[in-house]
Amino acid sequence: MQPETAIVADEILIDDKSHNLWYYSWKRLKRNRLAMVGMWILIILAFIALLAPFIAPFHPNQQILEYSAKESGFEGQVLVKNPGEMDNEENKFIPIKSFEKEQDGKLIYTDYEDKIDTVSAADFEKQGSGWIKNIKYYLGTDRFGRDVLSRLIYGSRVSLAVGLISESIAIFIGLVLGALAGYFRGKTDMFIMWVVNVIFAFPAILLIIALSVVLGKGLWQAFVAIGLTGWVDIARIVRGQFFSLRETEYVEATKAIGYKSPRIIARHILPNCMGPVIVTGTVGLATAIIFEASLSFLGLGVQPPTASWGQMIFDGYKYIVVGTNWGLAVYPSLAIMITVFAVNLLGDGLRDAFDPKLKR
Amino acid sequence: MWTFIVRQLLYSIVIIIGVLTVTFCLLYIIPGDPARMMLGQRADVSSVEAVRDELGLNKPIYIQYVKFMTNAFQGDLGRSYATNRDVVKTILEKLPATSLLAFSALLISSILGVLIGIISSVKKYTFTDNAAMIFALFGISFPSFAFGLIMALVFGHLLKWFPISGYINEGAIYLVLPMLTLALRPLAITARITRSSMLDVMNQDYVRTAKSKGLSSYQVIFKHTLRNALNPVVTTISASLAATLGGVFFIEYIFNWPGIGLLAIDAIFKLDFPMIQGTVLFSAIVFVVINFFVDIIYAVLDPKVKLS
Repeated sequence: MQPETAIVADEILIDDKSHNLWYYSWKRLKRNRLAMVGMWILIILAFIALLAPFIAPFHPNQQILEYSAKESGFEGQVLVKNPGEMDNEENKFIPIKSFEKEQDGKLIYTDYEDKIDTVSAADFEKQGSGWIKNIKYYLGTDRFGRDVLSRLIYGSRVSLAVGLISESIAIFIGLVLGALAGYFRGKTDMFIMWVVNVIFAFPAILLIIALSVVLGKGLWQAFVAIGLTGWVDIARIVRGQFFSLRETEYVEATKAIGYKSPRIIARHILPNCMGPVIVTGTVGLATAIIFEASLSFLGLGVQPPTASWGQMIFDGYKYIVVGTNWGLAVYPSLAIMITVFAVNLLGDGLRDAFDPKLKR
Repeated sequence: MWTFIVRQLLYSIVIIIGVLTVTFCLLYIIPGDPARMMLGQRADVSSVEAVRDELGLNKPIYIQYVKFMTNAFQGDLGRSYATNRDVVKTILEKLPATSLLAFSALLISSILGVLIGIISSVKKYTFTDNAAMIFALFGISFPSFAFGLIMALVFGHLLKWFPISGYINEGAIYLVLPMLTLALRPLAITARITRSSMLDVMNQDYVRTAKSKGLSSYQVIFKHTLRNALNPVVTTISASLAATLGGVFFIEYIFNWPGIGLLAIDAIFKLDFPMIQGTVLFSAIVFVVINFFVDIIYAVLDPKVKLS
């Protein structure tokens, strides 16, 4: 947060070529260490989300009811069905209490219902010793015996997807409506601003919940609901930008050349609005993630058994009231907080980077 | 000044009409038959039809819309599916509880937020400033319900300092946890905006003039800087109000605070549509009314606003 305008001004002076806004903004952003921290956290998160199937120790929906609500670091012994295939499928494991190897090569195991069963010698020889596995749950298990760590990893996919897609919907609608309102003014502007103010009057969370109830539960319904409330911020910003840019000389020039309105809007004014739009969009992405978590917390949005951080908090909420296994609610809360914090850091940095009058 | 006030009033009414319309549309497109929901799944067809006629559900949509609007302006929002009591009456009963919570949270968040913002701006770039701003960023990054859970866990269970469920009938201490949880987000927002607007003002020439005249920092801050920096802070009242209104629902749910928020969330779980409609409408109208007053304060502070 040190004053940086002096440094950048020198750079521009000694630069041989002239660069555009994006280049200088990027340079300013790189100097902002907090923003870079935010950006790297998000990049790591994106990798976790993309590589989830490879880094999660278990399948997120693998239920082992006998191991339900165990604390962090719990270890158990399981029989692996069909070892040799990929480890993270559902229904791969059967928890066992004890096992014995017979001399004729058979494997006898006792499961939690005190049922004694065997694995035949032929199968056993085929796969070798992969049948018995000692597994460890690093963050414990939830109510259904699912691994908390794996669910956290898979939950990142939902959160990032919601952030990106909902905010994209919001940006798209906001750009279109904001541009129309800002360019044509008059009655178009009055009508669009009326809609904006009406939607802005509702507490966003209530509107999103109401929309979810209308549209039904599910991931895509959540996208649409959050997107339909987020566009108002973008529309306002775009409209404001259009008001000032509309009167500039280069726009007058395009009119003098005889360009039609759609071309002027799309090719000449809109690209210059993108700075504040990106900043607002970043903050909107953060709030979209929080809204998705809130929706899941109420049982709308993403449905079980899909892992979502909000839903994990919902499941774990009851444990907090009782006072045990509080990790079930705390770990996903921390996950959400770190993600949103990183997005906000980046958003703050972007705002400072795009502002040519930076004084702080 | 009066033309401005009247204009704002008319615009607010137009917005409220819009809010009512959106609420009507939302409920109109919700799947499911309201009459059947009222009577329960096992009701026979003829009584469902009778109730549908009574509620006017078979009439065309514009007639239903007019009926809804006229009812709403007379203060009638229907009866709850769950309790069959008048929606408006139930909401007004719960109003004091929510007002107490919201008002106390807003008070704390505004006072502390402005203070932190001022201190941060005066000691800019120091450790205090950076720490305060990182703390503020935490504040807006924490979803309210998650923060509420953690507060309940730490202060309710582990330390056992405060109770986590119930109303102040049993003692004022029940207010503490919900109020602190609700206050976090508006506090963070207010602190950030106050700091940035103070910084903007402090860079102005007239402040340097005052300092070079030899005025003490105290005089410079309070007599010259603050009044001008207050302008965006008034805007943040609108933002923190939005944050408070949004957060109150989850906070009431988590701490079992018997207010409108708990009413709304219960209604959502039970799919009690008149109550959902009523609470959503109520929140929106409160927001519009308060913004109306904020706009007037804005006009008092900055007369140029009246021209827009």
